[in-house]
Amino acid sequence: MDWNLIFENSLKGFIGINAVYFAIAALGLNVQFGYTGLLNFGQAGFMACGAYGLGMTAHYFDISFWWGIPLGILFSVVLGLLMGIPTLRLRADYLAIVTIASAEIIRLVVRSVKFKTYFGGSDGINGFSSTFRALGNDFGIEESNRYGFWPFRFTGRELWVLIVGWLIVAIFGFVVYKLMKSPWGRVLKAIREDEDAVKSLGKNVYSYKMQSLILGGVIGTVSGMIFALDRGSVQPDNYSRDLTFYILTALVLGGVAKVSGSIVGSMMFWGLFTFMDNFLRQVTKDPVTIGNVTIMKSTQVGQLNYILIGITLILLMVYRPQGVFGNRKEMAFDGR
Amino acid sequence: MEVSVGKTIGRRLFVALIALGSVLGFSFGTAKAAEDGYSIRAQVRDQVRTADGKADNQPLSGVEITVTDANGEIVGVALTDAEGVVIVSVPSRADYTVSLNEETLPSGEKLDAKTPAVQNILTDSFITKTKVVTYFTGESQTVRQPGFERVAQRISDGIRLGLILAMCSVGLSLIFGTTGLTNFAHGEMVTFGGIATFVFNVTGLAFLGSLSFIPGIRPDGTFHIFWAAPLGIILGGGFGWALNKRIFGPLRRRGVGLVTQMVLTVGLSIALRNFFLSRFEGRTRPFSDFSLQRAWDLGPVNITPRDFVVSILSLLILIVTALGLRFTRLGKATRAVSDNPDLASATGIDSEKVIRLVWIIGGALAAAGGVFRGLDEQVSFDMGGRLLFLLFAGITLGGLGSAFGALVGGFVVGVMVEVSSLVVPTELKTAPALLVLILVLLLRPQGILGRAQRVG
Repeated sequence: MDWNLIFENSLKGFIGINAVYFAIAALGLNVQFGYTGLLNFGQAGFMACGAYGLGMTAHYFDISFWWGIPLGILFSVVLGLLMGIPTLRLRADYLAIVTIASAEIIRLVVRSVKFKTYFGGSDGINGFSSTFRALGNDFGIEESNRYGFWPFRFTGRELWVLIVGWLIVAIFGFVVYKLMKSPWGRVLKAIREDEDAVKSLGKNVYSYKMQSLILGGVIGTVSGMIFALDRGSVQPDNYSRDLTFYILTALVLGGVAKVSGSIVGSMMFWGLFTFMDNFLRQVTKDPVTIGNVTIMKSTQVGQLNYILIGITLILLMVYRPQGVFGNRKEMAFDGR
Repeated sequence: MEVSVGKTIGRRLFVALIALGSVLGFSFGTAKAAEDGYSIRAQVRDQVRTADGKADNQPLSGVEITVTDANGEIVGVALTDAEGVVIVSVPSRADYTVSLNEETLPSGEKLDAKTPAVQNILTDSFITKTKVVTYFTGESQTVRQPGFERVAQRISDGIRLGLILAMCSVGLSLIFGTTGLTNFAHGEMVTFGGIATFVFNVTGLAFLGSLSFIPGIRPDGTFHIFWAAPLGIILGGGFGWALNKRIFGPLRRRGVGLVTQMVLTVGLSIALRNFFLSRFEGRTRPFSDFSLQRAWDLGPVNITPRDFVVSILSLLILIVTALGLRFTRLGKATRAVSDNPDLASATGIDSEKVIRLVWIIGGALAAAGGVFRGLDEQVSFDMGGRLLFLLFAGITLGGLGSAFGALVGGFVVGVMVEVSSLVVPTELKTAPALLVLILVLLLRPQGILGRAQRVG
């Protein structure tokens, strides 16, 4: 058992790019779910908007890379309106149902053969990130060089995405923190606690909810962009229902209605996930057996990890629904 | 008090999962045989159709297929055999490129544009140990059936899907009606039924082999589907009962918020689906009985006897459910609780008892849906998860919380999904369901049979 390697990888996972794009997406989800009480179960759909915004500029429109950013944001605003208009006047569950369905349909449409010319079908899109990576070079980060110290050693390519990513996390974290301290943010929290009370104060609840949904969606979109830039490609099947669910897990792990909760939650999620993954892979180098019954093979490690994620989420909801840093009162809303 | 209840839930959950593991798990572990090593199977087919429009693709032999790895090194070159097949063993699960030498095709044959000569295989596409690549030559001669027959066939398929969806949604809608919970793990309850039946029907329970003198048990410890299906459905009801007893009942008593419970069902869904995946593996598998059948040609519609029986049985089950809800005391109580829990308990109805019943019946019906879906489309680890959003569309259309609404809504969505594949590509045939969902919410958010007051 190579503990050195396990810890090195786990520590890298703790601050790695996965934690970055999860943190951004979880911040967005936090605006909707944590602060406003909107059950957006389609964050993966918003992330796909960002990723495909970037991808389509190169693949279909053949225009400058930078247009991808406004394009992705435009997509997500449209998606937010589509999801919000029919549901935000209704009880919370309807939004959950519509968002989970919309995200799934988006995935089916972008991976379909029918629309392959626009979205690249099930192979997705690649070859759009060179402008972004060249910018890293301009700042003096050589793509193939290795930087850092143990255990945080990254290639120049990884480092550049990480720097940009954490910068965005910091900016959005600050913006969300300030917004939620503002009168606007207090209205959102009040909507979560008692919609009718807010209505009786003459606030347009529907409009506030819509703003929250779209703001969270746009933040999710940026997360999708970072994800796509790191991979250098857009793969439709990455944006499945499960992605939303894992981000939700990271969010409630850290704690709802707390900026630090989304960020630390994502870091904990990936730190622990990488640790379990590396640990179990070393354990199962040879199939684990009792007598002649195989208990676990290396191919089952991935699934066991996800089972553990599910169980973590269940246990969190039973024992600490507010997450590690959250305030229990802020997760007591009912959604009815 | 709160903490101690929490502890019990956690411990019970653990026991339940381990019990589930021992039921489903170990039987699979030993069933897998050797077949070591990965391979790529390339096949070349000429697209031909018989006079009456049935596909009759012919293999092409002597076509040169080359497999290269990610570095461009050739892994294997071979000519297709009489079956038009080349099997190239590859050292590991990795990215490969399969290319077909078009000059070796018989003269006059050209590749269909849908299957280009060079095809890339990504690591992730090795779901099983063999990756199949198929090349087609000639024109794709989809002979369009006459309009009326295509519509009739789609409607017949749609009715089957609709009945299955209706069956699965009753539980989802009633659980919502009686407790307010939107259960995102309901799809996994459907899968549970399919896989539990698969265990009885195909994997078998070895210790039962010695009991094969009992009718229905075969010497290898498996059951005929006629016995396996009811067993799976009973287990499904038990599963629903256990979820309520161990998890949701105690949470309700603690007064845990609905949103918390809903997020919990998300966790349950993740855990269960991946559990199914790790034990059942990624491929789809048929039940051992009735998997291959010749379709009856009933004028405009072709239907296999199996699908016909599935439709009749689903219809019967739904009629019994509807009658039970309409006329029995418990059925009436269920609808009363679903309508207005406070009023119902004020009239002396034991709402906990009703909720327990709803979880059992809902679980059993979902499992039955899983069995029928498995007969229809084979069993897989996410067969239910993929239906979830159609179920939501159905119960929203019918009216959240209304049992009859769920029956009607599920049925309509099923028929609509299949019929819409006449217009939209098959891969997108579920998209119109989303459209329906959004239109219903815009125009009549309480659904067809729901009551307006429960919406806002």
